[in-house]
Amino acid sequence: METTTEIRSEGVPIPKSGADRHVKTFGTEIWNFLISLKLAIWTLILLAVTSILGTVVEQNQPLEKYQQVYEDWAYNLIVRFNLFDMYHSWWFLFLLCLFALNLTCCTVDRFPRAVRAVRRPKLILDEATEKSIGLAERWKNKGTVPQLAKSYKNALSRSFAAPRITETEGTVHLYAEKGVVSRFGAYATHVGILIIFIGAILGNLFGFKSHMNIPDGAQGSHIDIRGGKEHVDLPFAVRNNRFWMETYPNGQPKEYSSDLSVIENGREVVRKTITVNDPLVYKGIWFYQSSYGQATATAQLSVIRPDGTPLGSFSLPANEPARIEGYGVIRGVAYEENFQGKGPALKVAVEKGGRSATEFWIPKGGFDLDRRRGDSAVISFGGLTSSMYTGLQVAKDPGVNVVWLGCLLLTAGMMVSFFGSHRRIWIRLSEAQKGKVEITAAGTTNRNRPAFEKAFAAVLIEIRKESPDKTKEIAA
Amino acid sequence: MNTLNVHLFDLTTFLFGTATGSYVAALYGRKESLARIGTWICIAAAVVSTAAIGVRWAESYRMGIGRVPVTNLYESLVFFAWSINLFYLIVERKYGNRSFGAFVVPIAFLAMAFAFTIESGIQPLVPALQSYWLHAHVITCFAGYAAFAISAGVAAMYLLKERRGGDKTPGGVLAMFPGTRVLDDLVYKSIAWGFPLLTAGIITGAAWANFAWGTYWSWDPKETWSLIVWLVYAAFLHARVTRGWHGKRAAVLSIAGFAATLFCYLGVNLVLSGLHSYGG
Repeated sequence: METTTEIRSEGVPIPKSGADRHVKTFGTEIWNFLISLKLAIWTLILLAVTSILGTVVEQNQPLEKYQQVYEDWAYNLIVRFNLFDMYHSWWFLFLLCLFALNLTCCTVDRFPRAVRAVRRPKLILDEATEKSIGLAERWKNKGTVPQLAKSYKNALSRSFAAPRITETEGTVHLYAEKGVVSRFGAYATHVGILIIFIGAILGNLFGFKSHMNIPDGAQGSHIDIRGGKEHVDLPFAVRNNRFWMETYPNGQPKEYSSDLSVIENGREVVRKTITVNDPLVYKGIWFYQSSYGQATATAQLSVIRPDGTPLGSFSLPANEPARIEGYGVIRGVAYEENFQGKGPALKVAVEKGGRSATEFWIPKGGFDLDRRRGDSAVISFGGLTSSMYTGLQVAKDPGVNVVWLGCLLLTAGMMVSFFGSHRRIWIRLSEAQKGKVEITAAGTTNRNRPAFEKAFAAVLIEIRKESPDKTKEIAA
Repeated sequence: MNTLNVHLFDLTTFLFGTATGSYVAALYGRKESLARIGTWICIAAAVVSTAAIGVRWAESYRMGIGRVPVTNLYESLVFFAWSINLFYLIVERKYGNRSFGAFVVPIAFLAMAFAFTIESGIQPLVPALQSYWLHAHVITCFAGYAAFAISAGVAAMYLLKERRGGDKTPGGVLAMFPGTRVLDDLVYKSIAWGFPLLTAGIITGAAWANFAWGTYWSWDPKETWSLIVWLVYAAFLHARVTRGWHGKRAAVLSIAGFAATLFCYLGVNLVLSGLHSYGG
């Protein structure tokens, strides 16, 4: 993480202090504040500390609940600062914006300079650089500068990386570097975070989250979003063919599953059994197994004329009317599991031709049980069937892939910046006395110095193996 | 009914307790030989706990449940202690100094001692936990937590040494500590390992949540606390390269980060409620 500080002092023109101090406008002051590490540290700490509040105050409950639980002053604070939904409150969003702004400004400020520093590295080992580098060694060797430069170049290529060669007034500079990419890890991490923010915003603007309950055999395409304030009609329907659950031998739930079909233009286009960790995705909309329950019961009824002519059979949901031609309107109004100690029975209300409804009980069984009423139709109650419904979480999030892209960049950047290091080695060869060359080798790294020291020593050994005799051989 | 794996974990707890005793006694009595015993006990604990994890894994298959043992509070504590011990042994070897032991091994011991008091049976997984993401999520998170534990232990050493004048006043127990620069560097290096692991843990958790619940982030208390931990260590990483913030303040942030980690790990389950409730 020393990258940031080092980049500032390296190959970057430091702002001329004298003249600039007078023109240091309000604008530059704000800019310096926005790119400062101090702002970064304080925003991070503030975000961390304030985030605690939302874990202590239960979020998104009805306001009356807070009024009951908290003292008046605390309740007022909660309302004033949106603490019941603090992660979407104006002040928390403000902090997040400040954080994003800090990241953006830092990147804008430093990234171009980092690119420049990498594109135009310091190829020459001058006095100032030599002094600033702790890791340096000097020695003399027989031979001429061009000869040694050539053999050192080969040795450096073998043991470290191919060097670039610069000549100035009889002095030759070799410069080799490795792991430049680690200089960009922090930027990748920061941009990754910004991309995650963009993905989250996209999801909030163009996505939705909702819930739908579909009874066995039924289908649904209409969902309420944002707490029922808005509605979405899906361009297709989802049919729940069946919901079921499995349990372990000890009775603990093992899996919840729904056999779902996607119906589009009257045809089944996809069929999939979803489980808790395996949703159905169709046209960017995800259906998750999230709950289940008992659907409304339906009563099985058959109606005939007293002479046996059938008038129809019905599945009658509770309290829903069914019209029977030539008889009237039937409604199931009550059910008892053990009516007068004789087993299940259904209470129906029959309306005939505008007269007020008559209500009576029909025990479960054949037609004979209803004949004694002496009506123009005989009804038999075949029992109550109750089915399950599956509870589906429905979500559309066009930003989610953007979020994953951001996560990828964030992780990659982190790996590179924590485990990579930019290592640089300079070798300067200059003429000393007759037939001798003075050599200075220096190395620096932005991270993990102990490991680099070992590598540097190994490179030096490799280079110093190049004896003058051997040099001649290579030269010849 | 305790099975073999639990007996092996109990033995591990005992070993960590003994190792802690050895390391602390070595510091008080200035006896390197005691610390060396501590090292050997830690190596033994590593072997026993690794075997215990393997046995537990095998036992879960024999019970027809079959899964990596990283799925409940007991198993996570055990894995946490296992990782701390492993990281510690690496650090001890790399730095050739055994004084860390008195500050790091007790954390592993306390984790195991806590595990000793809670339900240790192998339970089948509820539907929400049946995901491959679970393993990646738990392993990365707890390996990260273990790295943070080491960082906090070393940060405590740094602060102790710093308060008594740093490297200038040799003598006493503090002379057995490595130099403040080495300590500061190790505080950072542990976090440099823990932070990417925690990040991976949060991301795998988000990916899993997206598959199970239809949202990658829902500000559930556990999620929020993991973010808090992440933010504190992010602050640490930036503090370290800022003038006036490195050294002491960075060490304090490392300890604050570990405190947040512990709350995220245990406090949320014990004090707050949320989607992660089956973890406790």
